Amino acid sequence: MMRAEGCDQDTRSDEPAMGSRQQPVAMIVAAVMLSGTLVAQELPGKAFAVSPPSAEDRAFWSFRPLEIGQPPVVGNADWCRNGVDRFILSRLEQRGLAANDRADRRTLLRRACFSLLGLPPRPGELVAFQNEHSPAAWSDLVDRLLASPRYGERWARHWMDVARFAESGGFEHDDDRPNAYHYRDFLVAAFNGDLPFDRFVRWQLAGDELAPEDPLALMATGFLGAGVFPSQLTEAEFESARYDELDDMVTTTGVAFLGLSIGCARCHDHKYDPIPSRDYYRLVSAFTTAIRGEIATKADWHHADHKVLVTSEGLPKLKHHADGRGFPHFYKQTFFLSRGDVRRKQGEADVGFLQVLISPQAAESRWRRAAPPGWTRTSFRRASLAGWLTDVEQGAGRLVARVIVNRLWHHHFGRGLVETTNDFGRQGERPSHPDLLDWLAGELIRGGWRLKPIHRLLLTSSVYCQDGRVDEKRQQDDLENRLWWHRPRQRLEAEAIRDALLSVSAQLDPTMFGKGSLDEAVTRRSVYLTVKRSRLAPTMMLFDWPEHLVSIGRRAKTTTASQALAFMNSVVGRGYARALETRLALEGEKAFEQAWQLALAREPRADERTMIADFLRRQEQIYRRAGRTDAARTARVDLCQALLGMNEFIYID
Amino acid sequence: MTLTTESDRSAGLLPRRDLLCRAGAGFGVLGLAGLLQSEGLLGREARAAGLGRRALTPLAAQQGHFPARARRVIWIFVNGGPSQVDTWDFKPGLVRRDGLSIKTFDPEFKNTTGFFRNSVGNLMASPFDFAARGECGKPISSIFPHLGSHVDKMAFVHSVYTESNNHSPALFMMNCGIPRMGLPCVGSWITYGLGSSSQDLPAFVVMSDPKGRGLPKGHAANWSAGFLPGVFQGTHLRPKGSPINNLVRPKQMTDLAQRNQLNLLRRLNQAAVSDQPAAGELASRIESFELAYRMQSAAPEALAIEREPGHVQALYGIGDKRCDHFARQCLVARRLVERGVRFVQLYSGGNENQRSWDGHADIQGNHTQFAGETDRPVAGLLADLQQRGLLEETLVVWCGEFGRLPVAQTGKKPGRDHNPHCLTAWMAGGGTRGGCSYGASDDVGFKAAENPVHINDLHATILHLLGIDHEELTYSYNGRDFRLTDIAGEVIHEVIA
Repeated sequence: MMRAEGCDQDTRSDEPAMGSRQQPVAMIVAAVMLSGTLVAQELPGKAFAVSPPSAEDRAFWSFRPLEIGQPPVVGNADWCRNGVDRFILSRLEQRGLAANDRADRRTLLRRACFSLLGLPPRPGELVAFQNEHSPAAWSDLVDRLLASPRYGERWARHWMDVARFAESGGFEHDDDRPNAYHYRDFLVAAFNGDLPFDRFVRWQLAGDELAPEDPLALMATGFLGAGVFPSQLTEAEFESARYDELDDMVTTTGVAFLGLSIGCARCHDHKYDPIPSRDYYRLVSAFTTAIRGEIATKADWHHADHKVLVTSEGLPKLKHHADGRGFPHFYKQTFFLSRGDVRRKQGEADVGFLQVLISPQAAESRWRRAAPPGWTRTSFRRASLAGWLTDVEQGAGRLVARVIVNRLWHHHFGRGLVETTNDFGRQGERPSHPDLLDWLAGELIRGGWRLKPIHRLLLTSSVYCQDGRVDEKRQQDDLENRLWWHRPRQRLEAEAIRDALLSVSAQLDPTMFGKGSLDEAVTRRSVYLTVKRSRLAPTMMLFDWPEHLVSIGRRAKTTTASQALAFMNSVVGRGYARALETRLALEGEKAFEQAWQLALAREPRADERTMIADFLRRQEQIYRRAGRTDAARTARVDLCQALLGMNEFIYID
Repeated sequence: MTLTTESDRSAGLLPRRDLLCRAGAGFGVLGLAGLLQSEGLLGREARAAGLGRRALTPLAAQQGHFPARARRVIWIFVNGGPSQVDTWDFKPGLVRRDGLSIKTFDPEFKNTTGFFRNSVGNLMASPFDFAARGECGKPISSIFPHLGSHVDKMAFVHSVYTESNNHSPALFMMNCGIPRMGLPCVGSWITYGLGSSSQDLPAFVVMSDPKGRGLPKGHAANWSAGFLPGVFQGTHLRPKGSPINNLVRPKQMTDLAQRNQLNLLRRLNQAAVSDQPAAGELASRIESFELAYRMQSAAPEALAIEREPGHVQALYGIGDKRCDHFARQCLVARRLVERGVRFVQLYSGGNENQRSWDGHADIQGNHTQFAGETDRPVAGLLADLQQRGLLEETLVVWCGEFGRLPVAQTGKKPGRDHNPHCLTAWMAGGGTRGGCSYGASDDVGFKAAENPVHINDLHATILHLLGIDHEELTYSYNGRDFRLTDIAGEVIHEVIA
């Protein structure tokens, strides 16, 4: 129903009215802030009672401190290349299962190129790798790939899903946010430069406060403001729309960094996780005065100052359609809202954090940061939040570390150690290898939160390098491969499919950074496609691109006839085949050998050679009979198109 | 984003408590999971994709929770907010109070109820005459001469209310169950729940205004799959040019050449399929090319309304300049559901103001025009569905995103402003009780007064008719089991036959 302005007295019987509406909660909050510890105290409104987390809550696996043990001793030590392998093999051996041998070099090269770069190997790369005889050949290759600027583009795109990043506001007008793309550029640069992940987290929440001189830190704050926002608002909607926006910020923060559905606590205490509604509003409070704004700055790759869309405080408000109606953009206070209803305010919420992720000895005040002397533009509430979030010892840092190493595992192996990458709560899956997850999180923290060493650890492990062989015996024991006894085959994501098509047909434009394009015919990498919410790139959507409205940690991978139609009939798809055919300089059998090498990094097998020859003969005949003068060439284009439609092209072993 | 329940690691058992706690798993999935587990097919690997083995054939038909009354839905979305008191909800009280201030009726009335605060006029009787129609004798506005003769097929709900007085949030509310962007819409939920009975057509089809008046507010988010896999989103038939992407083969190719090429592709792909992991996925992709090949002819065939006999075309009003465009879409809708498409949504009108039923200025002219565009086509659709025996299992829904105020919006010609407190929806066919009226608005048609029906209730009822328990159709996403009906929804049994 329509929501009236102002805060009506709450007279519902289930939530007794408070004598003096706002004071009691505020007093309790003050008491908590002063003492630094939580006291169970009855509140007049039960919705926002202070309820300290129980020992059982704290003992839930993802909230516990890291338990970092030594990699276990295993029987087949020869198989193991590093600690990762020992954790995996130990579990396999307990079940009497053997792990697979190493895949061949061609398979490994393709696997690693797609894993790290999202692109197929370049021509010549395979021969070079196969001729490399040093024992360090593989780890050298991994290092080379990690040093490639293509790595940042690949992994930036993964994070864009998590950040529900888009460049328009959604809703009725879906107005463009023309300077939002700098956030994507920040991601590319951050991954390439191996920005420590804890700083990566802090900058996205409060880069404008923590490193206001650093252009990357400013660009990073695009994270908070990337959500949707209505462009058309009636007066009655002003305040609830702002709470929706704050909800988007806090929900995305919770899911992206902590794997927790904090947003569920907006209207009531979380049903499954120890996240009281009270914690929710105190987290929301950190963003009270944060709004989208623009700052001119100059990154390394810029020649001059660029306007960057940031999320900050105290900046001039961006234009909004409802400005004429007096839309305030934000309010100076955040209130506890009974059932999330702006008419039912229950006192002001001051900044606070998730109690279950604060060690019992710690006081919230330890993360409170005041603005440095002379700094008045922002409140430093977000900086405080960022401090708690990345504090491994007393705050939420251990969970942040678990969540990100799991994301890395998920992308490299096709499934996380925790399968629900965005949900580390009770509703989520339990980790298949909790000891390995904690060990990896520990390695991350020990290495200064740098991700590249973790990538290296994963890719140089024997478990990553296994071949895909399966047998009935082991399938009976572990059909789902939860114990990782073989390498699962993976379908490429939308971007990697398109980028591979561009790359193989020699059309890929390697230009980095800067404004993107909505036009799929532009040949830059897919990470540079503009994400406009009402005009999501059609080919990307076909292959399970997210809608970029909410955080997505794992994409669906569907198989549909519409995908096949795109391979068969789309003008762009046909264009790839034509461009590939043009690239084949040689005549006859050599031509399709080259095509196979480019697309699949291998020669055609004998049975394939026969199929190809039969096909070309028949296809030429069909076209000649149809009166075409370029029958041979068209048949070759058709062959290239079929090659690009092969499962092997988009499924990586 | 998983749809499955966690299984006991070793035994593959689902402890009851875990099951309840994690809930997850809509029926189809539990059922499917059970089935596949017994056949030893359900790999964790496949489940990780979010749909389990269904990711390979995500649109395969699924069983509901209980026997369905309706198998498919055609939703006439009366875009812009049709006025209840000028269409289906005759209010003698409004006639009596014509010209009085609404404060005489409701002292609490606020200027912010509508969209414009400075043009709130007095109570205004409908400019249209109402006459009793059908055996039920329901008074119907003169703007629906054809639809009026079908009132005995319609179950009216006069007490629907919504949560926003603004187009796009209200559109999202009506389509997705909450007034925000990002949730799956009804059509997506239904195709996720039931799959499709068509092998070579999209399961969920949307048609928008073909007269260049734009898309409904919020655009494609209205037929978005939200966090459900993209395969469940509505396929928007483009009003101009080729209606579906990539349906026409490259112009260099002949049919024979494409067939030969697909044969090659099939052989190349089959040579590689073995008992390796994901073999099912690979086989499914091979099959998808065959399906695509068939779609190239099936989709144009389904859309070829010119193949209908003249009298059928005339029944819908094809050839009548006023309504030809909508008549064509209604006929396409029938051809689609006839061929197994699960959910078809048609938008009457484009964007806001004079481009849709958004009659801020000149309610009389606006509603005369848009009723004129749709009256004959929708009546023709109902008649045609019935004569083919399709109506029994086809649910037809008629409603917009909100209603309109009983007061005039002042201006050169009086209009009416948005009203979230009350709207009329009707349903026909698919197991509904024709000729009944449920709920009532107050004396002037301002607010739902008797048996108020929330949008969640309306959705629950639609799902129920399709054999789906709205509380069981869930999708687990980021730690929460989402439903179309959020945490509410009561089935309105009174409108079910």
